[in-house]
Amino acid sequence: MNYMKSIATIGINTYREVIRDRILYGIVVFALLLIGLSIVLGGLSFAEQAKISADFGFAGIQIGASILSIFVGSTLVAKEIDKQTILTLLARPITRTQFVLGKFVGLLLTILTVMVGLAAVLAGLLLFLGLSITPNFAIALYGVVLEALVLVACTLMFGVISRPIMTVLFASSVFLIGHWVSSLEGLMKMKSIASDPTFLVGRQLAKFVPNLERFNWRSAPIYNLEVPGTDLITATVYAFGWMIIFLALTSFIFRRRDFV
Amino acid sequence: MATPVLEIIDLKKTYKRGWRAKPVHALKGVSFKIEPGVITGFLGANGAGKTTTIKCLLELSLKDSGRIFYFGHEGLTNEAKSKIGFLPERPYFYDYLTGREFLRFYGKISNRLKASDLDQRVSDLLKRVGLAHAGDRQLRSYSKGMLQRVGIAQALIHRPEFIILDEPQTGLDPDGRFEVREIIRETASEGTAVFFSSHLLPDAEQLCDDLVIYKQGEMIYNGATSKLLQQAESGFQLTFGTQQVAEAKTLQELNAKIDEIRKQGAEIREIKPKRLSLEEIFINMGFDAKPDNAQRAVDTRAGANR
Repeated sequence: MNYMKSIATIGINTYREVIRDRILYGIVVFALLLIGLSIVLGGLSFAEQAKISADFGFAGIQIGASILSIFVGSTLVAKEIDKQTILTLLARPITRTQFVLGKFVGLLLTILTVMVGLAAVLAGLLLFLGLSITPNFAIALYGVVLEALVLVACTLMFGVISRPIMTVLFASSVFLIGHWVSSLEGLMKMKSIASDPTFLVGRQLAKFVPNLERFNWRSAPIYNLEVPGTDLITATVYAFGWMIIFLALTSFIFRRRDFV
Repeated sequence: MATPVLEIIDLKKTYKRGWRAKPVHALKGVSFKIEPGVITGFLGANGAGKTTTIKCLLELSLKDSGRIFYFGHEGLTNEAKSKIGFLPERPYFYDYLTGREFLRFYGKISNRLKASDLDQRVSDLLKRVGLAHAGDRQLRSYSKGMLQRVGIAQALIHRPEFIILDEPQTGLDPDGRFEVREIIRETASEGTAVFFSSHLLPDAEQLCDDLVIYKQGEMIYNGATSKLLQQAESGFQLTFGTQQVAEAKTLQELNAKIDEIRKQGAEIREIKPKRLSLEEIFINMGFDAKPDNAQRAVDTRAGANR
C-alpha cells in the first residue's frame, strides 16, 4: 500500500510541477492554434468542412500530447539531478523504481488533463460544425493516450542516460520511426526492394521501435468506421508491453546510477 | 551501551571520470560510529571525502566495498530511511511549491506521519525555523537563509532519529548560522543524533560532542571533541595584578605560581587552561598543507589514538 502511495505522492508533485510550468501553456496554446487552424482549413473545402476540421483537430491533440511527452518528459529526471532535488527525495523511504514510476504517472496525469481540455474544445467545435460526437470520438482519443503511454516511458528511458537535448532527439526519432513503421511494412511487400541490404537492416531495426500507427484511430469518428474490439485489445496490450519494457529498462539503468 | 545509529566499517569508494581517466580513491577504507542523541561534527578539507561518505551512506552513490549498519542492521532499508533526515550541501528545492506544500510533500513521502498529524507538524516546524510568516509563499521567493531553514525543516518533518546535514551553515550570515546552530542543539536535545559536516570550526567546537575528521579520504580522528581539545592543552595561563600574565605547564606548577603571587600580595584575576582551539588543532593536523605542519599532524594523531 505504501509502495503505491509513494508513487502517487511523487506523481502528484510531478503533476504540480508541470502544471505550474510555463512551457505547458505554450504547448497548449500551440495545440489550440492547430485546432483553430482546422476551422480555417475546413473552410477551404466546400463539402467536407467538418471532416477536415475533425482530422486537423485530432492531429492537434495528438501533436500536443506528443510534444508534451517528449519535451517535458526529457527534462523531468534531468532537472531533478541538475538541481539535486533528487538527493533529498531518494534519501526518503522510496526506491529508485518508485521515483521513475512516480514521474511517469505525474506526466501522464498532466497529459490526460490537457487532452481532456483540448478534446472538450474539439467536441464543441465539431458539434458547432454539425458533426455528431460518437463513441468513436473517445476511441480516437484513447489511441492518443496509448501512444502517450509509450512515448512518455520511452522518453524517461532516454532521459536517465542522456542530456535533455539528446533525449528529445532520441525520443523524436522513435516518434517519427514509430509512425513510419507501417509504411515500411507496406514497402516490404514490394519485391523490387525487399532484398536490398539497407532495407533489410532497416526492417530488422524497425522491430526495436514501437509501431505507433497501431494506435491511430483518428479517421474512425470522421468516416464513421467501426473499430473492432480485438484491435482495441491488442493495441492496448501492445502499448502496455512497450511501456513495461521502457519502464523496466529505465528503472534498471537508474538503479545503477551514481549521483556524484 | 546503546546501539549506534550508524556504523561504517572499511568503506571504500573510487571514482573514475571518463574512460581513460585515472581512478580517484575518494574513500580509502574509513570506519566510524555515531551514537544516538549525540551531535557529531564531520570535518575535513574540501575533497577529503565528506560528501562522498554521506552519499554512500544514503546510497546516492554506490560504495565499492565496506559495510554500513543503520540502527544495528546492515543495509539501507526503507525502514531505516524513514528514521533518517537529510539536508544536502547547497540544497535546491522545488521552487514552484510553497513552504507549506514542500514540507507536506516530504512529510507524506516519509511514510511516518499520520495524515491527521501532518498539517500540525508542518505548522509547528515552520514556526520553529522562523518561517511561519512565509509558509504560503513559493520557495522561489525565499532568501538563501530561508531556504536553508526550510531545508532543515524538511529533514526534521518526520521526526527522524538521525539527521545528516551536509554543510548546513554554508553561505549563511552570522544570524543565520546562529539560528541553524540553535536548531541543531534543540534537535539533539530531543534525542536525535545529528551528524553534520562543516568548515566552520568554531561552530563545530561549540556544538559537537564527537568529531569525525577526514584527510584525503582517510579517517584520522573519531572521538569526543573534549578529548581532542584536552590533548592539545599545554598548561595554564594566569592573569594577575595589573594585567600581568604568568604561565604554568602542570597543575603543581600552577599551584606554586598561585602561592607565589599571593605572597606578593597581588590579586589573581583569571586562570584559564592554555589550549588550542579546534581551528588551530585542525591546522596543526596539516590541512593547510604547510610542510612544517606535517610533524605536528603526526603528533596530534598519535595523541588522538592514545
